[in-house]
This record gives sequence, structure tokens and C-alpha cells, in this order.
Amino acid sequence: MTAHAHAHPVKRYRGLMDWLTTVDHKKIGILYLLAGALFFLIGGLEAILIRIQLLKPQLAVVGADTFNELITMHGTTMIFLAAMPMLFAMMNAVIPLQIGARDVAFPFLNALGFWTFFFGGLLLNISWFAGSVPDAGWTSYVPLASPTYNSGHGVDYYVLGLQIAGIGTLLGGINFMATIINMRAPGLSFMRLPMFTWAIFITSALIVFAFPVLTVGLVALMFDRLFQANFFETANGGSTVLWEHVFWVFGHPEVYILILPAFGIISEVVSTFSRKRLFGYSSMVFATILIAFLGFMVWAHHMFTTGLGPVANGLFSIATMLIAIPTGVKIFNWLFTLWGGSIRFTTAALFGIGFIPTFTMGGVTGVMLAVAPADYQYHDTYFVVAHFHYVIVGGLINGIFAGLFYWWPKMFGRTLNETLGKWFFWTFYIGFHMTFFVQHFLGLIGMPRRVWTYLPNQGFDTMNFISTIGAFLMGIGTIMLIVNVIITSFKPKNATNDPWEDGRSLEWTIPSPPPEYNFKQIPLVRGYDAWWKEKMEGHKEMTPSEPVGPIHMPSPSFLPLIMSIGLFIAGFGFMYDKLFVAIGGIAVTLICMLLRSVFDDHGFHISEEEQEKGVHA
Amino acid sequence: MSSHDLNGPLPHEPERATLEGRNKILGFWLFLGAETVLFGTLFSSYLALRHNTGDGPTPNELFQLPTVFLATMILLTSSLMSVFAVQSLHQKKVKPMIGWLLITILLGLGFLGLEIYEFTEYIHEGHQMPTSAFSSSFYTLVGFHGAHVAFGVLWIGLIILQIMKKGLTVVTAPKVYVSAIYWHFIDVVWVFIFTVVYLMGKVG
Amino acid sequence: MSSNHHSSHDETTTRHRVEGPKKHIVTFVLSLVLTLIAFAAVASGEINTAFTYIILVGMAVVQVFVQLSFWMHMKDKGHLFPTIGIIFGIIVVFTMVIMAEYWVWW
Repeated sequence: MTAHAHAHPVKRYRGLMDWLTTVDHKKIGILYLLAGALFFLIGGLEAILIRIQLLKPQLAVVGADTFNELITMHGTTMIFLAAMPMLFAMMNAVIPLQIGARDVAFPFLNALGFWTFFFGGLLLNISWFAGSVPDAGWTSYVPLASPTYNSGHGVDYYVLGLQIAGIGTLLGGINFMATIINMRAPGLSFMRLPMFTWAIFITSALIVFAFPVLTVGLVALMFDRLFQANFFETANGGSTVLWEHVFWVFGHPEVYILILPAFGIISEVVSTFSRKRLFGYSSMVFATILIAFLGFMVWAHHMFTTGLGPVANGLFSIATMLIAIPTGVKIFNWLFTLWGGSIRFTTAALFGIGFIPTFTMGGVTGVMLAVAPADYQYHDTYFVVAHFHYVIVGGLINGIFAGLFYWWPKMFGRTLNETLGKWFFWTFYIGFHMTFFVQHFLGLIGMPRRVWTYLPNQGFDTMNFISTIGAFLMGIGTIMLIVNVIITSFKPKNATNDPWEDGRSLEWTIPSPPPEYNFKQIPLVRGYDAWWKEKMEGHKEMTPSEPVGPIHMPSPSFLPLIMSIGLFIAGFGFMYDKLFVAIGGIAVTLICMLLRSVFDDHGFHISEEEQEKGVHA
Repeated sequence: MSSHDLNGPLPHEPERATLEGRNKILGFWLFLGAETVLFGTLFSSYLALRHNTGDGPTPNELFQLPTVFLATMILLTSSLMSVFAVQSLHQKKVKPMIGWLLITILLGLGFLGLEIYEFTEYIHEGHQMPTSAFSSSFYTLVGFHGAHVAFGVLWIGLIILQIMKKGLTVVTAPKVYVSAIYWHFIDVVWVFIFTVVYLMGKVG
Repeated sequence: MSSNHHSSHDETTTRHRVEGPKKHIVTFVLSLVLTLIAFAAVASGEINTAFTYIILVGMAVVQVFVQLSFWMHMKDKGHLFPTIGIIFGIIVVFTMVIMAEYWVWW
């Protein structure tokens, strides 16, 4: 190694500046978590308002227009601005550690991805203050979202906010694919990857192939709204069905983008806390790949009632049911992992085990919905609402909470309080089932979704009341989580390398939280469950694959933040027809790209002596 | 990690000599996978809407095959020029490489000029963005491609300036290689544009 | 990383065979011919519509395959993931084209 890069001193920032310029995946993970949690609370508040409005028949707590805005923003926020970033938080915090890497493949793009997501989300939520909120539903179907029927700026906020946030997500997908392909530690072959890493690898592939479809859909809708294009204007030859197709060609893979990482988290948690090797590892891998592949072939099951005809409906019906097979493989594998294990019921394990029946119920209603003729009955009722909340909240959010409790010590160096954690689990879990279980039956007896209110004595009253109480329980649970986080943050940073003592993968071989270079020496991986294998052979640490030496690190940079602000400004310019502002904003972004290209980042080295001084991440 | 001696002789295939270089090439290919889907979606919307010309001109009335043929030839030749640039890169001949890159962007500019001329003609014939569903999807698809060409011209121009200033190193080599891949990809997309949009538009 | 050993070699052109321009010129000529056939098929106007479509799609697919393999080096070693990526992208696009042709207007 030459000392070439020492010739370029790198400015290192502290405090807030450090967070604004960081390219460290662990810090970006924390930023994603903070932003995701913020939007989760906003989305949750919207959900509570929706449920209060539906507490009793013929209430008018919020106006009908506001109700439409609430359901639109609740769906959009929860999926794009809460669930996705919290998954990205865990990807960032864990993946490089699990594969024995010092950072992701493109640290700069990683920071850029976070900031574009954040400013996209901000743009979307500023609509509340601008007085024109998106109100065409999270699917933003035309003609409801077309300029004819939605002449305000609401849908513009949806289109541009998601477009900007989508850039960040696409960058993240490319980044994590490249990271997992190119940056694995020596000996860590694909079939030795931890299940969470596999899940993220496949998820990233789904992001790479699904998000461009959304990009084009949003561009088309934006052109219709801002430049009088006719993609979806039926009067001039456009097609509203085209939007449905484009949206769901993206939208269906999107739900697998959400659930596959949860599958990965559950696999890790279930295996760790049963102290057993994950049952059927290779079948798990192939099931994940198969789910992802089929995920692209089933979009039209969201459109059975559009009238595509019996052949198309039949094909998509069968393809959808096929997905139940690899999903079933996964569920049985988790059960067989638990079977005969010596299970520890930590909070993470409770969420992991609680996930299995809840997600299975969501899966079963999914197969029911896949039956095209029956779907004509379920379509647009609360049955659908119950179904997707069982898979998204009962699946994904349970998975995220399991992952948070599991990896919290690795991310922050402190273990979350277990007693409070279990209270949180039971409150949230019971609240969840109270809220959504009854909604199946509300749907079956005919309550349509997305309605502002309903008449009394149609059989809806009691179940809606129960549902709202459940929503409050979930809210109380969430407050318990926040209290837990606050209390924990005042505790000493005393988490050990392997705080659960049963850790199986590489992240548990390094300090909690890890130093900024993660691994002093990149480890040599000798098998699946690399760390567990070493422990079973009586070793106290991994065999290193390289001598101790200076470690090269990328420099922090302001550019990602400024580039995202440029896009944010351009978004406003487009929306309010100020072309100068739009061009100015894009120019800021392009100039930042130019600067990034022209000035090479030489990074800096951390010497052996500095490494001895130890942890300061 | 990657501190390849910038002053020493360049290794074989300098674009792949460092982990950063290999990451960049792989990441760019994944990006092209995403671009495939992006253009695929634009193509499918065009295919779905191309017969709906409303009161505006039809593809058959609008398209002039000689112009399209000329544009195709220009882009195809520029693609060959950029593959020559990569060959010079592998032979570490910097001056010829810059030459090939320059010809590439000059041809790219020629293509853009032709496209702008074509679009102004169409607008005079009453074929504008709001005219019909066909016109909207046509301008979006072909315009997206044109924007990619324009971005490529700027990008390769910037890389030429960097090569002149910094020389060919393990940092600049991946940029040349990746931009060449990008340029070929633009040509590949054009193959489908002239086939699906122009030629099939003429057939009806 | 292991990249350092390269610098011990002197000029490496003697050790590694650098490919000549021949195959790229062949690719170019082939692309040219395929393009000409496509344009000629339309310009002549004597072939029936269905068959013209088949010619057009066939020529485009062959040309793209040739250019991907040679100009974009996809046939070279170390292109496993690029190949998987492009193939998967094509599968997604293929389903979307079917969608556009059959399921938007029916």
C-alpha cells in the first residue's frame, strides 16, 4: 500500500455537520430510522384520525374531503416513507456487517439515496401546509387524479414527491445489489450468505426492476397534469386502464419489496432465538427467488374487476395462487426451525413468532382474493383492507419491530428494555388483531373501503367500534416503544459484541456499535452461520483474512444533501409553473454531479494507532 | 484498499484494476437493467396508444424515412467510434482515445440536431404534445431517448476534459469504459425506436 | 487488495493480447446490413404487413443481440450478473409489451 492518499487531508466534521455529510452506512442507517420513524408517527396519526371518524355511524369528526386526504396520505406515507426507509435503515445497519465489508459499494450514492428519499417525503408532506393535499388514494387512479377531476396541486405533490423519493430508493437498490455481489468477505459464497442478506439481495433486485416502471407512470401522469399530454385522457385517445397496469406492474413487486426483508429478519430472529440452524436454508433461498420472480407476473390480480376478460383473469388468478407455494415453504421452514429448538422468548422472538400466524392469515386471505369470481365480491370492501393490513402490519411491521429489538444493541450499543418491550408487543399485537380481524367481516357483509361514514343499523356499528379501540391500543403500544427508546438512551452503552450470546452471523463478531471501519481485519468465512461455527469449535474470534494495516475510508460530503435540495426546489418549480425555479433546481443538482465527477475523492486512511484507540462510531 | 499507485504503469484493463472500478462497472450494468425496464415501460405505453391519433397526423403521414435512416446511421457509427475508444483505452493510447471520444460526441450532437429539426417539423405539422395520445407517448418515448443522448454528450465531454487534465489512470479508466457502455445502450434503444416507432409506424 | 502485483510488470501489452478492431468492424457491418434489410422491407412496400412485422422484429432482435455481445462485452468473462440483469429486464419488458398489446384495449 502506498501512502498516496495521506497527501490529501480530509476535513472531518463533528456534531450536526457530521450527520449532514456522513457517508458511513451505519450513520445513514440511523438517519433512515429517524426519518422513517417520523413518517411512521405521521402516518399513524392519520390512521388514528381515520379510525376516530369511523368510530360511530354518521360522525363528522373530519370533513369528507379531509377524509380522502387522510386515507391517501396514510397509505402513501406508510408504504413509501415509513416502511421502506425503516427497511433501508436495517439494510444499511446490518448488510455490510453481515457480509464482512467495511462499507457499501457506493457510500456517496448511499447518502444521496437517503437525502433524496427524505426531501421527496418532505415535499409530499408539505402539501398539508400548502392546503392542497393528494386525495386520489395511494394508487392515484385516473381519471380521479387527472387534471379534469383534480385541478388543485394535491396530486402534483404526490407525483413529484414520490418521483424524488423513488430516485433514492432506486439508488439504494443498485447499491445493495452491487455491495452483496462484490464486497463479500473471503469464503462467504452466495450459499453461505445469512438469510437476511439473501432477502435484501432479492429485494434490491426487485427495486431495480420495479421502480423504473413507477418512474415512467409518474412522468406520464405529470405530463398529463402539467403539459396537457394525453396518456390517460380518454377524450383524446388516452387510456385509464394503462395507468392501472403501469401502477400495478410496479405496485405488486412493491409489496414483495416490503415483505421479503421481513422474511429475512424473521429467519434470523427465529433461528437465533431457537438456537438452531435455519431449517431448509437452500429451500428458503429458492423460495425467495421464486416469490420475487412470480411477483412480476401477477399484477393484474389487482384489476380483476377492470374487465380484462376470463383468459387474462384466469392466468393471473393461477399465477397468484402459485405464490402460495414458495410462501408456504417458508412458513413451514420457520416452524421446523422452532421445532425442538431451545427457544428464548425475548421481545424480538415474540415479534418473530407472532409474525408467523398473522402473516399466514394475510396469505390465506390473499389466496381467497386470487379467486377472480370471488374477488368480484371482495373488491373494494374492507375485506381487502383487512388482507393488506394483515400482510403489511402483521407481516412487515412485526418483522421491522423484531429486527429493531434484535439489532438495536448493534446499532446503538444499548439493549432495549425487555419488560417494556414485552408490554409493547402484547399491546400492539392485541390492538392489531382487534383493529383488523373484524374488518374481514365488515368487508364480507358489504362495507366498502375508503368511505367517509356509514349509516347506522347495517351491522357495521359494533365492529367499527371494536376496530377503533384496537387502533388506539396500537397507538398506546407505539408510545410504549418511544418511551422504551428514550429510557434506553439514558442507559450506559454496555452492549457486548454478541449481546444475545446466540448470534450466528458476522455482525456479532465486532463491537456494538462497530467502529467506523467495521472490521479491523476482514474475517475469513469458513461456513454457513460463520460466527456460530467458530463458537462451536471453541474459538473466541474469527480468523482474519488480512494483516492489520491502515484502512482506507471515503470522505464525507455535502453534495448529496445539496443535490437533493436542488431536486426539492425543482419539484416546486414544476408544480407551480415557475420554469426558472425548476431549471435552477435541476442545475444545482447537475452542478453537484459535475463537482463530484471532476474532483476525485481520495478518501483518508485510519492508521493502526488510531484503530487501537478504538470505537468512535 | 484501492490506493493503486497512480504514477506507476497502468495495469491490464485499468478499468477493472481497483475494487472501486469493478463496483462502478457492475453498478452501472445494474442501472442499465433498470433503464431497460424504464424504456420498456415507455415502449409499452407507446404501443398501447399509438393508434389513437385523434384529429392529429398519423404516424404514416408524419414520419420521413430518409431522416430516420440518416439518424440511425449517425448513431450506429458513433457507437462504433466509442468501441474504438475503449480499444485505445485497453492499448493505453490516450491521444487516439480522446480522438475517438471526440468523434463520438460530435456524431451525438449531429443526431441531436437532426432530432430537434425533426421535432420542429412535426410541431409545424400540428403534431404537438397535447394533440393526441399518440403524440404524447411519441414525444415522451423519443424525447427520453434524446435526453439520454444529450446527457451522454455532456458526460463524455466532461470525461474528455478530465482525461486531458488527469491523464489515463485507474480512476479515469472506469469512467471511459462505463460511458462507452452507456453510449452503446443508447444505440441499442434506438434500434427498437426506429423499428417499433418509425418503421412499424410506416407499415401501419 | 490484490491489485498491487500488476504494477510490478512493465508494459503489459506484451503479456495480455489486446483484441483487434476486426470483430467490431464485423459487428458494425452486420448491424448496417440488418438495418438496411429492415428499412428496405418497409420502403419497398411490397411485402404484406404481417410478414414485414416479423422481419422488423427479427432484425432488431438480432442486431441488439450482436451489439450487446460484442460492443458491450457481454459475451466476455465476468458478465454473469450483467447478463442476469439484462435478461430479467427483458422478461419484465416482454410481459409489459403483452400487456400493452392485449390488455389495455380488448
